Amino acid sequence: MRRFALCLLSAALVVGCATDDQKRNAINDVNSEFRVQYERILAELGTRVYRTNLDDAFPALRSALGRVGMRVGDQSPRMGYLSVVGPAPAPLTDAEWRSAAERDLPKLREIATQHVGVLGRFVSFEPEGLEVIINATALEVRNGVEISLTARMREIAPPKSGMPRREYLPPSAVRMGLEKIWNEFERELRSARTL
Amino acid sequence: MSDNAFPDALPPQYGLHWYVLERVLGQGGFGITYLARDTNLDQPVAIKEYLPVEVATRRPDATVTSRTDEHDERYRWGLERFIREARTLARFDHPNIVRVHSVFELNNTAYMVMRFEEGETLAALLERRHALGEADLMRVLLPILDGLELVHNAGFIHRDIKPDNIHIRSDGTPVLLDFGSARHSLGHSRTVTILVAPGYAPFEQYYSSGENQGPWTDIYSLGATCYRAIAGRAPLDAIARSKGILGSTQEILVPATAVGSARYSDRLLKALDHALSFAEKDRPQSIAEWRKELAGGKPAPAPAKPAPVIPVSTVSSSRIAPMVWGGVGAAIVIGALAALPWLVPGKPQPVAQAEPAPAPSQAEVLRRMMADEQQKFAEERKRMEEAARELQSERRRLEEERAKPAPSAKPRSEPPPRIARATPIPEPAAPKAAEVTPLPLPAPTPQSAPPPAARAPGPAELLASAERAQARGDYGEAATTFKALAENGSPRAMVRLGDLYLVGQGVERSDELALRMFRGAYEKGDSEAQQRLGDMYAKGRGVPQNNFHAYAWYSAAVLSGNAAAKGEQERIGATLQTVEVEQARKLGERYARAAKER
Repeated sequence: MRRFALCLLSAALVVGCATDDQKRNAINDVNSEFRVQYERILAELGTRVYRTNLDDAFPALRSALGRVGMRVGDQSPRMGYLSVVGPAPAPLTDAEWRSAAERDLPKLREIATQHVGVLGRFVSFEPEGLEVIINATALEVRNGVEISLTARMREIAPPKSGMPRREYLPPSAVRMGLEKIWNEFERELRSARTL
Repeated sequence: MSDNAFPDALPPQYGLHWYVLERVLGQGGFGITYLARDTNLDQPVAIKEYLPVEVATRRPDATVTSRTDEHDERYRWGLERFIREARTLARFDHPNIVRVHSVFELNNTAYMVMRFEEGETLAALLERRHALGEADLMRVLLPILDGLELVHNAGFIHRDIKPDNIHIRSDGTPVLLDFGSARHSLGHSRTVTILVAPGYAPFEQYYSSGENQGPWTDIYSLGATCYRAIAGRAPLDAIARSKGILGSTQEILVPATAVGSARYSDRLLKALDHALSFAEKDRPQSIAEWRKELAGGKPAPAPAKPAPVIPVSTVSSSRIAPMVWGGVGAAIVIGALAALPWLVPGKPQPVAQAEPAPAPSQAEVLRRMMADEQQKFAEERKRMEEAARELQSERRRLEEERAKPAPSAKPRSEPPPRIARATPIPEPAAPKAAEVTPLPLPAPTPQSAPPPAARAPGPAELLASAERAQARGDYGEAATTFKALAENGSPRAMVRLGDLYLVGQGVERSDELALRMFRGAYEKGDSEAQQRLGDMYAKGRGVPQNNFHAYAWYSAAVLSGNAAAKGEQERIGATLQTVEVEQARKLGERYARAAKER
């Protein structure tokens, strides 16, 4: 049965011999590593400027995010703010999530093993019990509209007391998700013949 | 000054005796700090002006005056404290304590003249460097301990230690600024989170009036400041910790021994965890005791003349402009300026007493807090019922008056025309018509109007009168007037009415209507409304809880000149990813710009 998500929550860890300190340190290290990669990917893929206007960009953004399985949590169309949420693996499909997880798993296990020893070899990424939240902004700039995307994970059940929250998605999932959203967004804009 | 960000500030070149103001270094809820030149000695100084914006305002002739008669007493009391504490501070001649040269009264307020020093705050340093290594951290901490011990031994506590209030000089030596008990002058009128620094203030500062505070209070804040320097973020706020302890949430403070493991010595991390103990009795009770732990039982190195330490980068002039707080040339008082501070409580507090009063247990503290809350709730409910009764009788009276036939000879028989609405309130519809009892507002005085003494009150007077009514607990009267004024487009009345909707005083509680009021006031460019909208998103009231959106609103408020929103902005920012902070900040700029454009 697939339980919880990301790293370190495999049954082996929960039931196994790792102490809370070891688990905490492992999660912290994974968060740090994923954070660095997440920020690197966002610097590359997180923001784009399109030659369009807010009236066209915002509905296109909302539709694009809806197409990848996200629902609107909060929005301010006039100001260009949109927050969407969806159960992981959204915005990815199951197959895409598995593909991303396979790529990031060696790094995850390497970090986990440093803290929990052999148990680290059994950790895995699973999407259940997680939500993905994406904050999107569409701000008018001189030559069009600047669209920015950021993403975080949220555990549906609160973490065990004292355990750090796992908020960063696996890097490959971030990259894949962003590319997917941009593709959908551009398709929406094209269909409105504004790109 | 010329900077629109400080509309309350005195203009450049303004003379205060032989001091000539040059520019604003920063503004907080309690005052404004200027860079000035002492023309006698031809040297720069930092001058802090007492101007608690919540209770006082600047008049066109540059004098400062309390906002209403009701505020006058608090304003005077605060002013007295400001002067008294400046005198107290001036007694301390220590390299790591802010040096006060003089204090004087002018413009119906007071000015504290301090030494001006180049450098930056520890907060700015940490912003750049994210964290400090152990050696650098100790070079900041030990001299501050030394200065603080002097203060404690003189019977005072600081109450507001945080990275913003530690200044790192250009030679790397630290100096402790802004002794913050001035906040007590505003007493309980403001929310506690504005009065204390979330993350840096221990639990006793949230609930106690001072009797449980002592050196251990400053030690907690210093521990929290060090935690920020090793973890890259402030520790979990004491209120959140209390909830974790009570079991209503699962959040607990991740100990320094966990976040700093392998990067810092166990001795340091354990000493920090000890300082950050939740209950005051569990913490080190004196600086000497804590210093001993930091030094591992050995006498700590004498910190009086610390080696030049953390290189403080010289900020290029191009960076100065965007840094509101100063950059190069940041005065010794940058930063929290807000807290015009002062050292202590109403009664001098013996700090080094041999046997401090026994601190209550943690459970007792929490029980006491809950009992207080229940009592406040009961009192509030009673006031609400009284207000509702008064409102009902007022409505009856107005209806009776309206029903009377109007004697034609008396001009008053015709209801005065309402003030024309300057611009309609856009999105945020006013409350349903049925709920509004518009107060007849005065028309512009006609030629045949009675002499000034008899004229009807204008909107500003009505607003002040409603605020007075609110202050004395006449919520029904306050709400009726605020509604009428809000209908006529007064953003301030909208904010006040929104506040009443939030707590259900004088009106039926409604987060939705509160939100509409705040949005309406925002549409009119009100920066207080932007802060309230941040609160609504931070607490999830009337909207889905959303820290990202809360941060954007707080940023907008700060950009619009509302310095009081800065603390909340920082607190919420600590919960966001770095990239989210940047993204939300841009959104906040958009909000602030849109408000100004309107």
